[in-house]
Order: sequence, then C-alpha cells, then structure tokens
Amino acid sequence: MHTSVANLQRDLLAFIAQDGCTDGEFNAMALQLFAHQFKNNLPFQRFCMQRGKTLRNVKNWTDIPAVPIDGFKDLSLSCTPIQECERVFMTSGTTRADVKGRHHHPTLEVWDASMRRGFSQFFMRGSINIRMAVLFPDETIMANSSLAHYLAMAVREFGAPGSGYFLDANGLQIQSLAQTLTQAVATGEPMAILGASYSFVHLMDALQVQNLSFKLPAGSRLFDTGGFKGQSRELAMDDFYDQLANTFGVARKDCINMYGMTELSSQFYDDGNQSLPSVKRGPHWIRSQLVDPVTGNAVASGERGILAHCDLANYNSVTSILTEDVGQTPPQANGGFFLHGRAQGAQAKGCSLAIDEFLRAAKT
Amino acid sequence: MSTSNIKAGYLPGLTDADVAWHSVSFGSGAEQLDVDMPMLSPAQLTAMAERVRTHSAAHLQSLSTAQIIDIISRAIARLLDKKDVYRLEAERLLPRLTGLAPDMLRLSLSAYLKTFRKPQLQRFVAEDFPNPAQLESFTPRSTGGWSKAVAPDLLVHVWAGNVPGLPLWSLISGLLVRAGNIGKVSSAEPLMASWFARLIVEVEPSLKDCLAVVWWPRDDTTRPAALFSQAEAVLAYGGNQSLDQIRQQVPASTRFLPHGHKLSFAIVSQSALTVRQAQNQARFAALDVARYEQQGCYSPHTIYVARGGAVSPREFAQLLAGELAALEHRFPRRTLLLEDAVSLAKWRQAKEFESVQHSDSSLIGDAAAPWAVAYSELPTSLAPSAMNRTVCVVAVDQMASVIRLIAGQKMYLQSAGVAASPEELFVIASELGAAGVTRICAIGAMTAPEAGWHHDGRFSLLDLVRMVDIEATTEHAAEAFTRYRD
Repeated sequence: MHTSVANLQRDLLAFIAQDGCTDGEFNAMALQLFAHQFKNNLPFQRFCMQRGKTLRNVKNWTDIPAVPIDGFKDLSLSCTPIQECERVFMTSGTTRADVKGRHHHPTLEVWDASMRRGFSQFFMRGSINIRMAVLFPDETIMANSSLAHYLAMAVREFGAPGSGYFLDANGLQIQSLAQTLTQAVATGEPMAILGASYSFVHLMDALQVQNLSFKLPAGSRLFDTGGFKGQSRELAMDDFYDQLANTFGVARKDCINMYGMTELSSQFYDDGNQSLPSVKRGPHWIRSQLVDPVTGNAVASGERGILAHCDLANYNSVTSILTEDVGQTPPQANGGFFLHGRAQGAQAKGCSLAIDEFLRAAKT
Repeated sequence: MSTSNIKAGYLPGLTDADVAWHSVSFGSGAEQLDVDMPMLSPAQLTAMAERVRTHSAAHLQSLSTAQIIDIISRAIARLLDKKDVYRLEAERLLPRLTGLAPDMLRLSLSAYLKTFRKPQLQRFVAEDFPNPAQLESFTPRSTGGWSKAVAPDLLVHVWAGNVPGLPLWSLISGLLVRAGNIGKVSSAEPLMASWFARLIVEVEPSLKDCLAVVWWPRDDTTRPAALFSQAEAVLAYGGNQSLDQIRQQVPASTRFLPHGHKLSFAIVSQSALTVRQAQNQARFAALDVARYEQQGCYSPHTIYVARGGAVSPREFAQLLAGELAALEHRFPRRTLLLEDAVSLAKWRQAKEFESVQHSDSSLIGDAAAPWAVAYSELPTSLAPSAMNRTVCVVAVDQMASVIRLIAGQKMYLQSAGVAASPEELFVIASELGAAGVTRICAIGAMTAPEAGWHHDGRFSLLDLVRMVDIEATTEHAAEAFTRYRD
C-alpha cells in the first residue's frame, strides 16, 4: 500500500477515535480526502470537472460534488486499483436489478472502526455486550453484503455468549428462535434481535400463526434496517413498531432502526421509535445535507429534500454521495434528519410513458 | 379571491349535500388551490348509471348528428371566447392546477379547442362514417341489407392526465355517437371535463341527465366495480399497470377500450438540415418539447438527426438547446415536485455518466437550466426522457437506423414528427408504420393532432359503436308477410 494511503487511513482512524470534532476539523479532513480522491479516482475526477469542481474551488465539504448512487453502478469509483482491494460490497439491486452498485474497500480497517464506534454509541448505548439473535444470512452465504458483514461484526464484537444466526439457506429458524427467546425470558437475560425489517415481518407472521409472543427481559432491544423492499408485505411504520413491541415485549423506544447504504462506510441510527418519524443521527465523521436533486443546492430549512451524505470513512471511493432518499430537517435539528423513504419516481400524470413504468415493463 | 370550495364533477340529480367530498390540494403557499372531489357511494353510482342511461335513451338519442354537432360547437365557442366566464375560470385555475405556464396554457388550449368547432366535428364524424345517417337510422348497404350504428347505452370513461382537456376527446366522441356518458376524472386535472359537462347542459338543458362527471380515489375498487358493471363500454386512459387493474374490474362481456401510455419521437432528415431549415426545425421541435412539458403521448422524447447535412446532428442539438433556452423566457417551465426532480436528476445523471465514459456524448444545459438536451453519437434506442423539457438528440447515418432504434418499443409507439423531402416522406412513412408508429406529422405539430385523427391507430367513433345489420334475407322474407301480398 502506498504511504500516502496508509497515512490517510491512520489519520482517519484517529479522527474516528476522537470524541466528536469541530466544523473546522471535519472540513479539513473532508478536503484532504477530496484531494486524494480527485487525484486518484479518475472517473470521479471527470465527474467533478464536468460539474466545474476542482481542487481550487472546493473550499468546504458542502462544495464536494455528491456522486449519485447510480455512479456506483456505472463507474468504477476506487482510488486503489480494484483488483488490489480486499473486499467489494454490492447493492441488492432494488431499482435496477440487472446492475449492482459496487463499493470497493482496499481493507476493511476503517469501515470496521466506523461500524464499531457507531454501533457501540447508538445501539449498545453504553452496554459492553448483549446476547444477539440475527435474522439475516451470515457472511459466508452473502460475502458481498455490507449488512451481512455489519451483523457479523456486531455478533463478534458485541455479542454475549449464546448469540447466533436464525436465518440460513433453509430460511428463518422459527422453532429454534422461539426456544431461545423462551429461555431468555426464563433466565431474565436481555436479548437483542437484529435483522432486516422485512425479516421481522416474516418472523411476526410466523409467530402469529403459532400464537406466540414474548415478554423479553428488561434491557432487551430490537434492531431493524432496510425497510421492506418488496420482500414482505408493506406495513405502515406505526403498525410495524406496534407489532414489534407487542410480539417481543420490547418498548418502541428500544426498537432502533439503522439507516445504512452499501455506498457508505458509516451508518445512521434513531434513538428508538417511540414516535414517528424518528430522527436519524450519525457519528461525528458523517454529515448530511438536504438538496434539490437536480441542482444539488440545499433546500430551505424544513422543506423536503434528497439526502446527500458526506462520509469521511469513504476514503477509497467518494466521500460525498447523493442518495435517492427523501429527508427533512426536524424542527429541533441537532444534526439529525427525518427519513421519509425512497423517492418514488414521478408518476406520469399525462399519457406520456414515464421512465419508471418503462423500466418495469422492460424487466418483465 | 376565494381559494377553496372549487368543486369538481357534474352530478345530475344530486345536490352537494348528498355527496361526500374529498379535498385535493394543488400548488402551495398563496397559489395553493383546493378542489373538492365528489365521492359517490357505490349505490349512488349505480343510480347515476341508471339515470344517465334512461335519459340518454329518451333525449340524446332523439337528436340528429347535426344537432349534436351544433350543441358541442356552441359549448366549444364559449370556451374559445376570451370573455366567457368558463374561459376566464380555465385561464385562472388551470395554470395553478397543472403548473403549466399561463401563456402556454392559453395558447395550447385554444389550439386544442379549435379542433372541436363545427367544421372539424363534421370531419370527425365523416372520418369514421362516410354516411353519417348510419348514426341515426338503418341505411342501405351497397351489398344488400341495412345497417345502423348503435352507441353504448352507457359509456364509462376513466380519464388520466394533466394535459388539460384531454378528457374532451373521448367525451365529445361519446356525445357524437349519442352514448350516455359518465366520466371519472383524474385527481391531476379534474376541472376541464367538469366544466365542459356543465357547459353542454347550459347550452342544451334537455341533456342535463345524459352525462355525469365523477371521481373516486386511486386505489378504490368497489366504486369502479359498481359503475363498470352498469356500462356497455369502458374507455380508459392510463399506464399499463392501472389499465390492467381496470381491466380486472370490467366484466368480461363489457367492451373495454384501453389507451395506454405512449412514446413519441421525431426525425430530421438530411434534406431538412440546410442552415435555414435546421434553425426552423429546431424551433418547432423546441415547441413540441415545451408544450405540456412532454406529458402528452404525442410529445417527443428523442430526436433522431441525420448525419451528412449542412448542419451536423451536434449543431442541431445546440440549436435546439438555444431554442429551448429562448422559450423559457416566454413560457417558463412549471415548478417541479420533488418526485419530478428526482426523475429528472436520475435522467441527467445517466446522461452525465454516459458522457464521462464516451467523449462523443454530451449533456447540454447546466443543472440550473429548466431544460436539457442530451446529445449522443451512439446508436441510442428510443426510451422515455424525464419529461419536463428533457430531450435526447441522437445522430444517425440513415433513416433505416432509426427503424432499428425504435423497434423494441413497438407497442408504445405513437407519433413521429418528420422533417423530410416529399420523396423521402412516403418511404419513411411506410417503414415507420410497419414499426408501430400510428401518426406521422410535421415537427411543430406533434402536440396538436388533427380533428378525426386515428388515436393510437384506432377509430375514435367507430370503436365506440356496434353495428346492427338487417340482412337482405330478412327484407325478402318480410315480403311474404305484407297485407297486400298476392
């Protein structure tokens, strides 16, 4: 590895280890990374030139052009040659099933440090460990899933003895999970159940058939992520959290939703879902803006906009990405945002064929 | 100025108090407009169907085609009259409803309404019925026997769209063949059809129970099912998904006439690429792109430009960009909703990534411009743009390449704007027709189809009716039953 990259990694790890940062510190780190990426990530350089952004006129992290997430499908966004990268995470292909977004990581050291610190702060809330039940395939089944890696780390670094996976190639292991939960209720040991939001829907449906529900011990918590993505029936979020609370006996304030993306190396969390929409927050090395997706300009405070994130842990690809997720600044912001879900493509209001329908038709 | 209590719909036999109303908001801030949409119960819809059916049989069907044309043209004359209260209301409210620039809306609306004046309506009828008397009585056929065109006793329309006035095509068609009409407006533009129904009744009060304009929420299934079960024919506009949904609700024995979303494009041949002509064609093409913000099925998404002319395809793209920029001053683009902006951003991104990878491609118009032209040297298949003044210009070597590039979209094709010499025109037209195109017109006329056009290749009036034949054998046999037989 080049010395410059090694130095960057070292600086970043120190940055992540800090307790917070000032605006100036964030900016300095972001501009250092921008310079590195502009120089070494050639598709990104061309993208910046097209937007008229160069090292000379990018003075602030908000000046860095945010690469639309489709860029991870269409371009090869990596400072290190991709064949030298240890790991590539791929998107699940929610919108364009034929092409997967690819996020290359030379090593996972920074990614892991980012996950560890964020998870500890926002999910563990000061606890050292907790017994975990994971409703997601492990890393051997899904080697290119950033979520599989994330959950594997959660179990490895924060899972108390007895933690395990309850979803494998044969599907959800309902009986074995029910036994584990029953045992937890009996011993009074807190449990954490972690999984994709749609896995919880399948699990609750299956438990309901058997008329099973639990009152998990105090200190238990739930972790869901990713929404339903057409993988299960769609539930109103209020109903989803009510059902979670009722099925597992975990208060909605202890049902935490994580918002992460393959294209990022850091994650956002809410502080439980007592009331909706909940405010999502990230650690100090990621900042977000709400923008007009066409111009990239920030929207007026309180208006809905598209989320653009600047994740300093994305040192090898691009720090700044433009999502397709709609967000809004809550009245008391403190750096957080409401997440309103993925922006639906515009419905054709006339009789002209709209892109979304066209793509749907092209797939079938 | 009151911004509330504008009521959509036309509901004969019901008072406002009889009906549940659902309020829909358009625009925001001072420009916000709230329109109350009528939500009839399934029982009310069934009763409405019965009312319209019986009254149409009694009143509408007793009128001659000439009388009906006269009534429609008088209603249209009022909408064309700049001082008429309906016209003023349309000019005041439709821009706020649709976001379209007021000047553009005014001009487009007039151009559109002109296709429904008396001479145009006569052509409309003549197009499908060389002998219009067939609509009124049994007329002799040259091969023997007699035929009459019988309209559905109840024709239900499901309208989509914020191309203002689109519902008028099918509603006027329904009236011309004397069907009882009930139309369901879209929540994107519920007023034009409502006003037109009220105007018809003001012009000819005896028709007050022969038509109705209703509404139901998008995902409702019980209301449409109740109404469709009463209809003899159901005519629907919409995307394939909504058409499939409607098809499932229409009884199998009821005639279903779906009009799906369509895709249109233009072709500029080498012969039209002289310096002077190219500038003109670019100006006309810009108008086709800007009118209705490409929401219409006839709006162009891609313009295929031939190589080898005095003006190159790339230069044509620049000319088009210049014309779009100029049009913006006269007809500002509407304000985009976040959802529209996301679509547009994605389209721009895809074009931007393409130009990062291929130096031959470029995106003209910066992100702040309310229009964009994507230029490509690559053989680019026809695909929808993001609308709202986004258009592709694709360079091609010859017209035959265009046919290959549109081939995949056969079921979606509709209009092709063509700029070519007379010698080329008919050659191209045959190939376009075989490829699925149903309408060929001049560039600049794409959004204004002529009266009596074959919408999506079909017959506006003929498709609505059923022909009733009296075969010659009946007439011969009848001879045996006369009182004066020998």
